[in-house]
Amino acid sequence: MRLSGGVIDRSKPLQFSFDGRSYSGYAGDTLASALLANDVRLVGRSFKYHRPRGVFSAGSEEPNALVELRSGARKEPNTRATMVELFEGLEATSQNRWPSLKFDALAINDLFSDFLTAGFYYKTFMWPKAFWEKLYEPIIRRAAGLGSLSMQADPDVYDKGFLHADLLVIGGGAAGLMAALGAARAGADVILADEGSELGGRLLAETDTLDGKSAADWLRSLEGELAQLPNLKVMRRTTVFGAFDHGIYGAVERVSDHLPVPGNRPRQTLWRVTARRSILAGGAIERHIPFRDNDRPGIMQSSALRAFANRWAVSPASRVAIFTNNDSGHCAARDLLAKGVEIAAVVDSRGDAPQQGDFRVIRGAMVTGSKGRHGLASIEVSRPGGSEWISCGALGVSGGWNPNVHLISHHRGRPVWDAELHAFVPGPDLPKGMTVAGAAKGEGSLHAALRSGAEAAMASLQQLGLRPEALRLPEVEVREENLQPLWHVPGKGRAWVDFQNDVTVKDIKLAYQENMRPVEHLKRWTTLGMATDQGKTSNVTALAVMAELTGKSIPQTGTTIFRPPYTPISLAVLGGGDTGTNFRPRRLTPSHQWAKTKGAVFVEVGQWLRAQYFPQPGEAHWRQTVDREVLATRRGVGICDVTTLGKVDVQGADAAEFLDRLYCNPMKSLKVGMVRYGLMLREDGHAFDDGTCARLAENHYVVTSTTAQAGPVYRHMEFARQCLWPELDVQLISTTDAWAQFSVAGPNARRLLQRVVDDADLSNEAFPFMACANLTVCGGLRARLFRISFCGELGYEVAVPARYGNALMARLMELGVDLGAVVYGTEALGVMRIEKGHAAGNELNGQTTAQMLGMGRMVSSKKDAIGAVMSRRPGLQLETRVLVGLRPLDPAEPVVAGSHLFAEGAVQKTENDQGWISSAAFSPHMASAIGLAFLTNGGDRMGEVIIAANPLQGQQVAMRVVPTVFVDPEGERLRG
Amino acid sequence: MADLIPITALGLAQPKSLTVGSLSMTENTGLALASLALRRDAEAVCPFGLVLPEPGRWVEKDGVASFWMGPGQWMLEARGKAEEDFSAELKQQCPGHSVTEQTDSFAAFEISSPAGAAPIIAVMTKLVNIDPRGFTPGSATRTGLAHMNVFAIRRADDHLAVLGMRSLAACLWHELERALKGVSEVPA
Repeated sequence: MRLSGGVIDRSKPLQFSFDGRSYSGYAGDTLASALLANDVRLVGRSFKYHRPRGVFSAGSEEPNALVELRSGARKEPNTRATMVELFEGLEATSQNRWPSLKFDALAINDLFSDFLTAGFYYKTFMWPKAFWEKLYEPIIRRAAGLGSLSMQADPDVYDKGFLHADLLVIGGGAAGLMAALGAARAGADVILADEGSELGGRLLAETDTLDGKSAADWLRSLEGELAQLPNLKVMRRTTVFGAFDHGIYGAVERVSDHLPVPGNRPRQTLWRVTARRSILAGGAIERHIPFRDNDRPGIMQSSALRAFANRWAVSPASRVAIFTNNDSGHCAARDLLAKGVEIAAVVDSRGDAPQQGDFRVIRGAMVTGSKGRHGLASIEVSRPGGSEWISCGALGVSGGWNPNVHLISHHRGRPVWDAELHAFVPGPDLPKGMTVAGAAKGEGSLHAALRSGAEAAMASLQQLGLRPEALRLPEVEVREENLQPLWHVPGKGRAWVDFQNDVTVKDIKLAYQENMRPVEHLKRWTTLGMATDQGKTSNVTALAVMAELTGKSIPQTGTTIFRPPYTPISLAVLGGGDTGTNFRPRRLTPSHQWAKTKGAVFVEVGQWLRAQYFPQPGEAHWRQTVDREVLATRRGVGICDVTTLGKVDVQGADAAEFLDRLYCNPMKSLKVGMVRYGLMLREDGHAFDDGTCARLAENHYVVTSTTAQAGPVYRHMEFARQCLWPELDVQLISTTDAWAQFSVAGPNARRLLQRVVDDADLSNEAFPFMACANLTVCGGLRARLFRISFCGELGYEVAVPARYGNALMARLMELGVDLGAVVYGTEALGVMRIEKGHAAGNELNGQTTAQMLGMGRMVSSKKDAIGAVMSRRPGLQLETRVLVGLRPLDPAEPVVAGSHLFAEGAVQKTENDQGWISSAAFSPHMASAIGLAFLTNGGDRMGEVIIAANPLQGQQVAMRVVPTVFVDPEGERLRG
Repeated sequence: MADLIPITALGLAQPKSLTVGSLSMTENTGLALASLALRRDAEAVCPFGLVLPEPGRWVEKDGVASFWMGPGQWMLEARGKAEEDFSAELKQQCPGHSVTEQTDSFAAFEISSPAGAAPIIAVMTKLVNIDPRGFTPGSATRTGLAHMNVFAIRRADDHLAVLGMRSLAACLWHELERALKGVSEVPA
């Protein structure tokens, strides 16, 4: 029912629906308050027993009122109704019930509760074993879980950002406000973040005055002052969800969740806040007192009843009762009475409970039962001497306060037990730079929180080296809790401790009986504290019950700690907005534009997008295209963009020595104007990467690597330069992007290049195989030419500054028409290098050695190089598998890379495995598929027939072992 | 003169520009770049009259600028000289040292605002984990931006430059554009 007052805007009525029915509320309502205003007490069904449940709290610790919010692609399950700001047209549906909230078929679980106690699944669904996968698991999977996903792509946009501050104040209640004000006035750069839409925290539900003003008025004038401070950034609707390393905090700002649609704003923003200091003023959460049947709709935190009445002007019922062990409960009763709600009784477990208002107080008493399946109807109150049933539609329970120590344990700090407060408070181990203030450290009454926030600000300012000004605190009434602990009401029946995971006191007793007594076992065996609320309303109570059972004290029992996030956050916001093609950055080659206009099919090669092949009209299958590209290259001339291969510029007086130590083969002897193939080994003696080394001048080299290893090779070279041999005078920088590089290969390669190169003699005598030079092309453009080839044809690579690459590609193709010029992509590139027996990434997979690659003699014994010594270790010498070529006996058969090799007739098991096929392609030259493979003693088995087995797909292909070079084995074309 | 027509890092004939609210961004296609790494036994140098800056700093004089990249290593920038061989010019200024052409290693995007520092700082908070309070004019640093490696240079209060790998130019432009649009949104 609606009450008067509150911080809602009655001039803005809003329509919303819940489970298909329409209701109205006001701007300023949450979904929870609006439902209560409409007398909707039943909002969900519990996880295991499917018991009817209602709103329990007024904040983000809510365990019961979880709804599916919105519909369609923006539907989000497990949304706490207490945190949903009402907007026009809001749609919400209840979860975990079928067919309806009122008549839930799975409530039958409640009848079998004795069989579904904690850990029941460790003892059931075991037999027969075969039933698990096909029957039990699917059933449990369907029954388990809370809300459901829309299964549609998330259409919302998410954003991210970085903030830096001297001080981050986490929580904008009384303590946080004082802290932010004090620090900002002293000139610190402050960020104040609060998870709510309004600043104030519990002040928004407070009826006590500050300096004689209402809390609302006091807040308004304070916010006015805060807005004038340019060094203070206030972030509302922002949850600081984690304390990470180096003073970095993660926060999620709900930018447009409170709007019907985000429009062109992001839905949420992920903020990384780096703060030199922080003040955790995250408040405290009221604990409840378990008693028999304490989970009915209408039974909630007493402070929630108070907040609903004072802030949102609603009460779940016209007649309510309070069950308390401290003075807070009486405050709630007083405020509700003032709003016209009938107080049936305040049931106070303390024999000496005060009289703080005009309502019945039953002292030394406890609530021992309740009635009303879909909504509370009455409670049983017992005390020495007798019991009675009292009718009421709602019960507010106050068992004391649990300081919100969540964030302090993110760096594994443990909270400590305060015997006077009967609560866990932050211990000495806090994340670096953090101070705690207010209710979060057990100083939760208004006067204490204000003072605590101011003190925390002073301490932080001192640590920051800033001079604090004295902060005048508003005058408020001093109130005490006077708590006498009552952890639960003993007795028969089930008393709920963790509402969200349906864990009762009985379950804790069972855990004790099963010897699951240490808190980490208690938690995991009962699943208490493992739901989306992380046990915010149950952890401490559970520890107290276990302590009672074991006879230990609560501090002796200990506590579990928390890890981020503080409240659930969407994975999408963690992604920071990078979705789809923007998930990863994509690198484009210099001739990408030209390739697009020519209809290239592109392929992802690591971060790069490379042209894979260029289909021509009439080509229906990629093989037709690739075969054509290969044949045309070998017949005329082919051009391919090879910019992606790593290029490192190496200079310096000691460059030659440096390279000689990096490559396993000799490199110091390389002459100016020549290129040499080079192999780098890893420290452990395995092959790392291969490439070329070109000596452009006395102390100037360009080292190339494979595309995939460009980054690792550069890193390796920098590590060698900076850490291994800092005494060498050598300088490095990457030039992979700077120079567009094209392979020009085929019998007409020289003729084509002569048409672009300015005045240079490219004859075989003047520019032999493996020569290199700086020269100019196309009328004076600086360029580099390297006579290298990996496809077995007369071949060159020409490089120009990348901005001219696109034009050069077009020019070469234009000038080469009569020479049969063809552009080829990575697919043809791969076919040709396999035909030529060249090792590539498949062979250099980190598990092979120079020996296996047939390059054993490249590892110089005359000089040391990285990996040389280890390459000679006995373990690697035992390896007998070497690279060979394979052709299927039947040219119609495929060669499947990854196949394992066996002798003909051998049983195909691991012990008989003789190697594997590393690369395979269809060779137009050989008119059959071919492969490169590592085969035991391959060198001695030329001509032998072996079996390539692919057992996963039932393939067995007979192969002939042949040399690795299929095309131009004498290398005549290369050197002509 | 060379008759090949260059294209921009974004694959276009002309540099791309964008104006959103009080922020403008332009691809700086005319910027020449060359790296300078000092060799051990060569003379100290002051290329183009610039005193090579300390770590984290950027200096400028008469259209040529320099920022620190590593111990003994700097990048030199020359406005408008991208189609010349600027590295050859630098080599002449620094005989005996290691000079490498870097013009097309990077794509440069200049972000400026007629409204002064505030929009520049706003856009920085959406892009890079750099404390703007310490990133005053004359600051330059290497940093991460949306899984990419970039140089960020505060050329002036109202002017920020972001240099990223040329092959990633399209991705970088996309991220920068998103940030510019994001901070120019008028809140509901």
